[in-house]
Amino acid sequence: MRTLIRWAARLYPPAWRNRYAAEFDALLDDISPSFGDVCDVLGDVLRVRATTSIDACLMLAPVSPMNLRLPVVASLTAHAVMITIALFALWGHVTTMPLHVVAPLPPPAPEPPPLVTDGRVFSNALTLYSSLPLKMPAQGGALPVYVADGVGINFLSLPDIGATYRQGNAEWRVWPGQALESFIVRRVLPEYPRGTNAHGAVSVFVEYLITRGGSVKVLRTSGPPPFAGAAQLAIERWVYQPLEYENRPCEVVSRVEVRFDSELARSGFSP
Amino acid sequence: MQDPTILILASLADGDKHGYAIMEDIHVFAGIRLGPGTLYGAICRLEQRGWIRAVKSEARRQPYRITAAGSQHLKEQLALFGQVVRTGNRRMREA
Repeated sequence: MRTLIRWAARLYPPAWRNRYAAEFDALLDDISPSFGDVCDVLGDVLRVRATTSIDACLMLAPVSPMNLRLPVVASLTAHAVMITIALFALWGHVTTMPLHVVAPLPPPAPEPPPLVTDGRVFSNALTLYSSLPLKMPAQGGALPVYVADGVGINFLSLPDIGATYRQGNAEWRVWPGQALESFIVRRVLPEYPRGTNAHGAVSVFVEYLITRGGSVKVLRTSGPPPFAGAAQLAIERWVYQPLEYENRPCEVVSRVEVRFDSELARSGFSP
Repeated sequence: MQDPTILILASLADGDKHGYAIMEDIHVFAGIRLGPGTLYGAICRLEQRGWIRAVKSEARRQPYRITAAGSQHLKEQLALFGQVVRTGNRRMREA
């Protein structure tokens, strides 16, 4: 602490040091300086420096560029030292405080209204994915839904329902789309691909895998590339609850037909 | 009554003292411990105003002596404080 005060005393103006340095040093030998004494000396250094600067500016003292600049530099240095010391002194308190104030997260963006199958696309089919939304609001009443113009999804009849396929350690069971309806968490319908010049209806057949976590991975598609891409993009955003078979988590394969109808898409079907 | 210049003048009123002696004396009679910066800042101001002067000494510890102007200033300040003290006491009794 004594060394620190001696160092701080060097910040006094030269005139002050020539006059008082020796006896100030003797005083420091007599006392047991504390942290408060360091601050006390630094405070007095600032006061003396400020007074000297003001005197210089008022032409009360001989002025030279160095005389004007030195007090400013010394004052800034003294400020920096005082702030550093104060931060160290407060460190114990600071560390007990939370270092980061976490701002509350903004509320999640509301989910867009679900799209449902355009019933006109499969005019003769009995079971469409048009029953969305499956989960009704607690107070009753229907959720606002929008029809995907010119786009429909149809359950396919699966000749191998219930079959188990094994590939390495993986084991997949084939389940029909109807059986999976009650496990749906999120379903996204494809958008009709813009910029295509197809006429009439285009069908895409999609086989997809529901993983143990409930996410969806498209295994294969058949159909024209822009339509198959649109179908795959949407189906891979589907989410299911994790599925179980005989009390064991399992992976499930299913297949759907996605049909795009250019005429209906252009007609602008309203909900 | 915490003005260090008045405290130092009061300390020097009964004889010459160097910095550490002034600091200890003030601690005893006023219960205030002046820091080294405050002490020498006040000594510097008092010397510039001509209210104290350094006494010639060979030792590292530089004694100071109150001047006539310093004594006069101290008397005036003490009289002022005395008036404040008397007024305050009287009003406290009357309240």
